[in-house]
Amino acid sequence: MKTFVVDIDRCIGCHNCQIVCKDEHCDNDWMPYAAPQPDTGQFWMKVNEQERGQTPKVRVTYTPIFCQHCEDAPCMKAAENGAVYRREDGLVVIDPAKAKNQKAIMDACPYGVVYWNEALAIPQKCTGCAHLLDDGWKVPRCVDACAHDAILFGEEEELAEKLAQAVDLKPNLSTKPRVHYLNLPKRFLAGEVADLEEEEVLIGAEVTLTNLETGQTYTQRTDEFGDFWFKQIEAADYAIDVTYDGYMPRHVEDFISTKDKDLNVDTIAMYKAV
Amino acid sequence: MSKDEKTVYKSLGLCGFGLGSNSAAVDVKDGKILRIRPMHYDDAYDIKDMNPWRIEVNGAVLEPKDKTMPTPLQFAYKKRVYSKNRVPYPLIRVDWDPNGERHPETRGKSKYRRISWDEATDIIASELKRIHKEYGPLAVLAQVDGHGESKIIHAAHGCPGKLLDLMGGYTLQARQPDSWEGWTWGAKHIWGMDPVGKQGNVQNLFQDIAENGDAVLYWGADPETTPWGWGGMQPGRLVRWLHDVGLKSIFISPDLNYTGAAHEGKWIPILPNTDAALHCALAYVWITEDTYDKEYLATHAVGFEDFKDYILGVEDGVPKTPKWASPITGISERQIKALARYWATHVVSIAHCAGGGLIRAAYSSEPARLEVALLAMQGLGKPGAGQINFMDWGLFGIDEIYPLPRSACQPDLSSVYNGWAMLTYPVNFIPKTLIPEAIMNPPIKWRGGHVIAGLPAEDQVVEWDFPHNGDYELHMIWTDSPCWQTCWNGGFDMQRALRHPNLEFILAQHPWLENDCLFADIILPTTTKLEVNDISNDLFSGQYNMLMHEEQAIPHVGESKSDFEAVGEVAKKLGLYEPYAEGTEEELIKKGFENSGVQNFVSYEEWLEKGYYVVPTAEDWEDDPRGMRPFYDDPEGNPLQTPTGLIEFKSTLLEQFFPDDEERPPVPHFVPYGESHSESFLHPRAEEYPFLLITNHPRWRVHAQNDDNTWCREIETCKVQGPDGYMYEPIWVNPKDAVVLGVEDGDIVKMFNERGTVLGGIRLSERVIPHAVYQDHGTRVDNIVIGEFDRAGANNLICPSNTTSKNAPGEVTNSFLVNLEKVDVFELAEQYPEAFKNRGYEPETGLIAIDRIVEGA
Repeated sequence: MKTFVVDIDRCIGCHNCQIVCKDEHCDNDWMPYAAPQPDTGQFWMKVNEQERGQTPKVRVTYTPIFCQHCEDAPCMKAAENGAVYRREDGLVVIDPAKAKNQKAIMDACPYGVVYWNEALAIPQKCTGCAHLLDDGWKVPRCVDACAHDAILFGEEEELAEKLAQAVDLKPNLSTKPRVHYLNLPKRFLAGEVADLEEEEVLIGAEVTLTNLETGQTYTQRTDEFGDFWFKQIEAADYAIDVTYDGYMPRHVEDFISTKDKDLNVDTIAMYKAV
Repeated sequence: MSKDEKTVYKSLGLCGFGLGSNSAAVDVKDGKILRIRPMHYDDAYDIKDMNPWRIEVNGAVLEPKDKTMPTPLQFAYKKRVYSKNRVPYPLIRVDWDPNGERHPETRGKSKYRRISWDEATDIIASELKRIHKEYGPLAVLAQVDGHGESKIIHAAHGCPGKLLDLMGGYTLQARQPDSWEGWTWGAKHIWGMDPVGKQGNVQNLFQDIAENGDAVLYWGADPETTPWGWGGMQPGRLVRWLHDVGLKSIFISPDLNYTGAAHEGKWIPILPNTDAALHCALAYVWITEDTYDKEYLATHAVGFEDFKDYILGVEDGVPKTPKWASPITGISERQIKALARYWATHVVSIAHCAGGGLIRAAYSSEPARLEVALLAMQGLGKPGAGQINFMDWGLFGIDEIYPLPRSACQPDLSSVYNGWAMLTYPVNFIPKTLIPEAIMNPPIKWRGGHVIAGLPAEDQVVEWDFPHNGDYELHMIWTDSPCWQTCWNGGFDMQRALRHPNLEFILAQHPWLENDCLFADIILPTTTKLEVNDISNDLFSGQYNMLMHEEQAIPHVGESKSDFEAVGEVAKKLGLYEPYAEGTEEELIKKGFENSGVQNFVSYEEWLEKGYYVVPTAEDWEDDPRGMRPFYDDPEGNPLQTPTGLIEFKSTLLEQFFPDDEERPPVPHFVPYGESHSESFLHPRAEEYPFLLITNHPRWRVHAQNDDNTWCREIETCKVQGPDGYMYEPIWVNPKDAVVLGVEDGDIVKMFNERGTVLGGIRLSERVIPHAVYQDHGTRVDNIVIGEFDRAGANNLICPSNTTSKNAPGEVTNSFLVNLEKVDVFELAEQYPEAFKNRGYEPETGLIAIDRIVEGA
C-alpha cells in the first residue's frame, strides 16, 4: 500500500507542490480520474503558512495539506453510488461522473481538502496523481517537484523508518489517514539572558523551563548570544528559572504562556550577587 | 505517450544575457502545454557518465539530484505563456499620428488600436529613416538590456541593436551592474575583484566552508527567494546542508526573509541601510579588544592605520563604539558585542545573493567596502572563511566564480547570441540610471565611465557625457525591455521623460502589455520561448551544466513573432534582412553548437537527436584552489587587482581621483546622508517620513516579470485583496507600528514621500521590525495620476532618482524614507473616477490587455 510522509522540518514554503498540482489539473482533463480543476480558488495541495513568535524570535512554519487518503474515509461513507472509491494502492479517488451533485462528499471531509466545483457540480480533490501512476510515474507531481524532499511517497515498507516517528495531521480524528507528518509544529519559547547594567549577554546561563501543569522540566544553556530557544514544547503555562555564576537566580512565571501562541519572552535581566 | 504528445526541453530561467538556467521538461499535447516538470538528466544518458560529484562533511551529504530543480516561477510558467495580459497583435496608440499630431502628453493614458504587421513595420521603417535623416542615428535610444527569458537566436533583449548597428549606430542604454551596486562602486576599491566586486575567487568554497567553517552570516541574502529567477532550488539546499553539517546560520536584515523564516538560525534585525554602522562597531570591538589578525593585515593590506583612526574616532572625534551604533542600527550594544566576539573566536563566512537591501541603497559603496574590511581583519582566505555567493555562478563563464565542483565546460553560446548589443564596450551610451535626465535635460555628464558590469575599477574614474562628441538629443526610443519605471530609480521621473515632446516615437516590443509598453506609440507582440525553436544552455543549477536544443513547444500565441523575427520584419522593410539574420535558424543552431565547447564531448547529430547534453563534472575538481587561499598563503605571488595588489583599507584610486568625496571617501565610512541623499533616520526628513522601506527582489516575480500569474497571485504572501476586489501589493508592518498608524491587517494604505504615492495592502508581521516596512518591488504599474500616484504598489516610482553617490552612478532602489496613511478605496474611486471605473481588471490576473485596446477602431 502506498503512503505519503510529509516532513514539516524540511518544507521551506516554496509552494512548488501547490503550483505543480495546479499545472497538472487546471485546464487538463484526466477523466475518468479527475475532471479539470478551476484555474483559481481550489487547492488540491495547499501550503498553509503560519508565522510564529515575536521579533526577533520568529519562524514561519509551512504545512502542505491535501487529501489524507483515509482508510476510514468519511467522504466514502457520505458518497452515494460508490462515487468515492479506494484503489488497490490505497489512494482514495472521487469518481467525477458518479459524484455529480453530491455536495455531501465535500461536507463530510474533516480536513477541508475537498472542493466544490460550481460549474461542473462535482466535489474535487487530490487523486494522488493516480492517472500518472497508472501511466508509469513513480510518484505524484508534488513529490516530483519537491527539491527539499519534504514530501515522500512510496510503499509503507520503504518508508517504515520515517513512519515510525510520524503522526497524523489531526490525531483526534480517527480516520486512519495514509498521509503522515513528521515534525508538525508544537510551540516554542525563546528569549535572551543578559546583564543590563553591564550591557552584556550572559553566555552559558542555565535556563530551566517548567510546565506548570505537568511539572515537566527542560534545561538549556544560553548560546554565544545569550539566547535560549525551547522548541517543540506543549502549549501550556510555564515558569522560567535562570542561574548564572555570580548572579542572583531569577524565577519568572507571569505571562509565560504558550497556550495561545509561540512566545519570545525577550530579555531576562540578571543581577550580580551581592 | 500518444502521437499527439511530445516533450521538449527548455531552460526557463529569467536571467537573459544568453545564459540559461532552471531547465524543465515541457510536455505538449495538441499544440498546448500539458505540463512543466523537472527534467531528468538521465532521460537519454547514463548518470555515471556525468561524473557525479559528492561532498560529505560530518555525515551530511551534498550531491546533485538526477533531475533539475525548477522553482514555482518555472512550474507556473504556463500561466505566463497563456496570460490574458499577452499583447495579441500589433498595436498603435490611437492619438499618435506620425503624419500629424503625436500627442506625447497623453502617453500612458491613451488606448491602442489594432494594426497589421505590414502597417506597423511600414511606419517603423519610415520613422527610422526620417529620424536618421533629421537628427542622425544617435537620436535613437535602444533600451535592449536586462533580465528576461534566456533565448539565444531569438534573444529577448538586443535584437533591435543588431539592426540599428547596420543602420549606422544608435545610443545605447548601458546596462549597469544592478543588484551589485555597492560591490561595483565600493568593494572593487578595497579588493579589486572583477567582474562584479564580490569575492571573485570562490572555487570549492562551499566545501571549504563546510569542512572548516563555524557559521555563515546571511547578510541581507535570501537564497530561498532571490535565486528562483536563475538558480533554482540548489541554493536553498546548500543552506540546509551547511546547517546539517553543523554550521550556525545568522540572518542580518531588517526583515526575516524567506530563508531566515524557514531555516533554523539567529535573526539579528537591523534598521535598513545602517549596516555600515554595525560594521564599524564590530571593527571597534576587535580593535579595542585586540581580537583581529594583525599579522595578516601587515602582509595582506595597506591603509589599516587610517581605517583604525576613523573607527577609534581619531579622525572625526566620534569613536564607533557599540553604544554609538546601537541607536543607529536598532541592535542592542550587548548583541553587537556578542556578534563581534563570536566572530572573533569562530570561523565565519558571509553569504550573499544578488541584491540584498544594503547593496542597492544610498551610499551602498560603504557597507560593501566595510564588509570586506571585516573579512580582512579576520584573515580573509583562511580555511573556512570567505564571502560566498549563493547565485550567479555561471554568469561570466569564469571557473573562478563557480563555488561548487567545477564542470568540465561552461557551454558558451555567444557565437550565435543575438542580444550582444548590451554587452559591447560602448561609445555612444547613457547609464541606465540617468535615462530620464538624458531625455529631459541634456547635455548630462557623469563620473563612473562606461558603467558596464565587469569593467575594472579604473574605468570608474573616467568622466563621460551625453551627447558625446556631437550635438544631438534623443528623439526615438526602441525598447524590448519595457519595465524601466518599475525596476529602476525614480520611476515617476521616467514617466515624465516618456511624455517629453522631444520623443517623437516610442516603439516597444514585448510579449505582455505592461509598464513602459503603455507609453509606447507602437507595440509589437513578441513570443515567449515556448513558441520558438532555439538553442540554450543551463549554467546555474549547481548540479550539472547542459547544452540544449530547444524545440518549439507550441505555436505562436496570437499574432506574436519572436523578438528576432519582429526586428527581422522591420529589417525586411529596410532591405537589411540578410545581413541582419546571418543565416537560417538551423544554421545558427549548428553554429552555436559547434562553438559552444560541447562539440568536444558529443557529436552534433547525437546532441540534436537526444535534445540535450549533460556536461560531466571535471575530473580534477578537487585539485582546484579553495577560494582565496592562494592569496592568504602568498599575497605577493597571488596579488589582488587593486593598485597595490593588497586589500586597500584606504583606496589608492579614490585617494588619487576623489580625495575630497565625502560620500565615498578613500577610507570607507558610515555615510547616513549627504549631498545626494537623505534617506536616514538621522536626517530631519525622517520626521515627516518616519519609515524606511525595504524592497527586496520579489518572492513571486523576477523584477517586473510574472506579476500576472494567476497561480502565484492567489498565494497568501503575493497580494492583499482590498474591499474593492483589487489585489494590492502587500506592505509588511510590525504590529507595534500598526498601533501607531491605526491600521489593521488587510487595510489599504498609501505609501508616500515627496516623490509620489503608491498604494499597498497591510500585512501585519513580526518578520519586519518597527520603523521599517517591507514591500517587494516590481509590481506592474497601474497609474492613478501619471507622475504622481500609482495603485499597484510599484515602489520604484517613488525611490530616489539620484544615484549611489555623486561619483558613483549606481541605482538607489532600497531603504528610502516613506510615510503610510490608511485610505478609503471607495473615496479614492470617487476622487479619481477615470482611473477606477469601467476597467477590464480581473483580480486573478490583474490588468488585462484588452482593457487598453479600442474595439473596432
